[in-house]
Amino acid sequence: MSLLEISNIHFQIGGMSVLNGVDLSVQNDQLVSLIGPNGAGKTALFNSISGVYKPQQGSIRFNGEDILHLRPHHICRLGIARTFQNVNLFNNMVVIDNIMLTRHRFIKGGLLKGGLFWCGGLKEEIRNRRKVEEIIEFLEIEAYRKKIVGNLPYGIQKRVELGRALALEPKLLMLDEPVAGMNNEETEDIIRFIMDIREDMRISILLVEHDMRVVMDISDQIAVLDFGTKIADGPPEEIKQNKKVRAAYIGYQEDRV
Amino acid sequence: MTRLVDLNKFDTLPKLFRYQAGRFDKQVALREKNLGVWENISWKQYYSKVRIFSMGLSALGLQAKDRICIHSENRPEWLYADLASQVLQAIPVGIYPTNPAKQVKYIVGHSKARFTVTEDQEQTDKILEVKHGLPDLDKIIVIDMKGMRYYDDPQLISYKDVEAMGQKLYKQQPNLFEELVDETKTEDQAVIIYTSGTTGPPKGAILTHKNIVSEIESMKAAFPANEHDSVVSYLPLCHVAERSFSLFYPLFYGYVVNFVERIETVEENLWEISPTIFFAVPRIWEKHLTSIYIRMSKATRLKRWTFSMCRRLALKVTDNKAPKEYGLLQRAALGFCRTLVFRAILNHLGLLRCRIALSASAPISPKIFTEFRIMGLDIGEGYGLSESCGIFCMTEPGEAGRGTVGQTFPGIEVKTAEDGEILARGPTIFKGYFRDEEASHKALAGGWLHTGDIGEISEDGAVKITDRKKDIIITSGGKNIAPSEMENELKLSPFIREAMVIGDRRKFPSALIEIEFDTVAEWAQEKNIPFTTFKSLAKNREAYELIEKEVEKANRSFAQVEKVKKFAVLTKELDHDDDELTATRKVRRKVMEQKYKGLIDSLYRE
Repeated sequence: MSLLEISNIHFQIGGMSVLNGVDLSVQNDQLVSLIGPNGAGKTALFNSISGVYKPQQGSIRFNGEDILHLRPHHICRLGIARTFQNVNLFNNMVVIDNIMLTRHRFIKGGLLKGGLFWCGGLKEEIRNRRKVEEIIEFLEIEAYRKKIVGNLPYGIQKRVELGRALALEPKLLMLDEPVAGMNNEETEDIIRFIMDIREDMRISILLVEHDMRVVMDISDQIAVLDFGTKIADGPPEEIKQNKKVRAAYIGYQEDRV
Repeated sequence: MTRLVDLNKFDTLPKLFRYQAGRFDKQVALREKNLGVWENISWKQYYSKVRIFSMGLSALGLQAKDRICIHSENRPEWLYADLASQVLQAIPVGIYPTNPAKQVKYIVGHSKARFTVTEDQEQTDKILEVKHGLPDLDKIIVIDMKGMRYYDDPQLISYKDVEAMGQKLYKQQPNLFEELVDETKTEDQAVIIYTSGTTGPPKGAILTHKNIVSEIESMKAAFPANEHDSVVSYLPLCHVAERSFSLFYPLFYGYVVNFVERIETVEENLWEISPTIFFAVPRIWEKHLTSIYIRMSKATRLKRWTFSMCRRLALKVTDNKAPKEYGLLQRAALGFCRTLVFRAILNHLGLLRCRIALSASAPISPKIFTEFRIMGLDIGEGYGLSESCGIFCMTEPGEAGRGTVGQTFPGIEVKTAEDGEILARGPTIFKGYFRDEEASHKALAGGWLHTGDIGEISEDGAVKITDRKKDIIITSGGKNIAPSEMENELKLSPFIREAMVIGDRRKFPSALIEIEFDTVAEWAQEKNIPFTTFKSLAKNREAYELIEKEVEKANRSFAQVEKVKKFAVLTKELDHDDDELTATRKVRRKVMEQKYKGLIDSLYRE
């Protein structure tokens, strides 16, 4: 059984059809990349999976369960975490609090228990804080632990956002352009983290990325979207050779190739 | 105050370590920050960690006299590996964690190391990249295997696995370790310390147990530490100074060594620990002072005024006297200023509890001592080399910055050669360079260590260092100039990171200056000067004028012939990877002179 199974998704905003019968599947321990020109519908697909958009047709199953009609916070509780194309952090909070926030899912205590550390509240806090510290160590952001997020460099903010998604302990991690706007060194760091997340934490990853070197290097499967339709799907070597993909990216007619 | 150990009974580091571990037992020896929490490692645990790793190395086949390279940032495993090898009479060799693969290859190759202990993926990748040229290398022991799940090189083995092997051997032969400790001999080689190599490829200075134990003994009077003290370990451990403060001295005094989390968190960790002993190189002291000025310039008007008022008052009343000469009035004024401002500043830097502060390893501007002294932090200045197992002179309290680096420690003799070079002799002086007969003979000609520094020795035995012998500039007018004095004066400016004065066989001294990017960038933002990168900022006309003013300021305290007449701002950050700096961030003059020949020549064109 696939971890994530999307079949025949149709999604329209007003008269514009953004997704036209897209199929996609992610297996356990797989890294699947989603590529395509601007406006192809990659982020719309992400939003559909995470429950922000409600596709009119089709089905999305996660671990066998239909999640199409669930609300975003239910979906994330099932184990799907994501990052955003633009950094979406709480700018006026420190790094720890930003990451700790997603631990909400694991904290059962209410206001009194959490606020006064009553009946196990302290233990719960320590347990969750420990997990956050493990993530901080993993992403090597110890130096920023208590810094206000809004003042940090962009590359670090992206890392914090990744950390926040990891704090959910997801089964599937969706990354929306994790290396956009980064220099070579920062890109290399993030890629290393992604590989480690996959190998050491055994989390499946769905990746949207424009940097083709990155995509070709680390993906198991690549799906290509163009104008809301999936035009290709396969391992990187196959996608590199695919004429339709070239046409979609470079824009010339197939018969002239 | 606790009783100090009689070093005649414990003449090697492993013997000293065993005795002290038994004595301090459950007291804290090391502290490490894990997952945001400081965790204690007791002497007992320290001892058992060293024992297990030592047994593991033995099981892996490390023999007496073998070399083992340690390539890691500072962390407890560094010390475990170091002591564990010494117990086996193998010789540990530290490698700077910032060294690029090429230099790692040089040191591992030159030392003919059989084993290396590497910290993580980053350091291991460097050694794997160059290992085909290293026929002697047998095992690569990796401390942190994160990200290396799919590495299948047969030479790799994890630190944990070595410990497991050690545990097994320890069960089979529980007395082996103790026997090995007993077998260590004081005349044996203990460590090899590769110099950072300002003038050529690094040379490996061999230090025996006797050298190290003598160093501890001779420094005893000048260094009144005890088991209640603490240090923060943050400078590279392969350098003799940090190795002494984090490994050698604590074995004797029993004070606590705290390891920083990462190099980026040094400031934060320093503040958390607030150590009572703090050793730093001039660059760090300069940075601390700069950070005070920068923060003050951004403070509210009231704070700014109070600070500058207190600073001026304190400077005026103390008039650069030593603390013991202060009268009642001076004490009262200083007490007032310290309570009002300075204590808070020292607290911010994590230096409030510091009672022994030391600067060494490079020349430093005397002004730094004065500025910190009025705040209540009396920094001492030491002088020594890797070849002398660390410092052998140190200033008396309150005397730093008055031209000398103090008197030599007991047991060490110094004299000057005909050309003014400082020579030293004594039990701490090394036995020679590893696999370099020629350099050893040269350095130890006539039984004296040739320090390579020009200086004088006053009647009361205080040593005054002028500069490196090779660096002395003789202008075409025949005037001798010690470039480091001017360079240190320039580096006092918050906007100047590095300065190199040139002028040998030239008409006048000039300087190459590297800007301090952070502060100049901030200054530019305030002034609305547009820039994008280091290069564009360094090329900026107004930034040049800013530096020009700083150069003029520095020039004021020098005689006409010594003044820097012209200077150029470097448009590239100096980097260890590009050979411009050594691993300890000292400028390689020769490389610089070749690399920036065009730029230098342009300074002397009419």
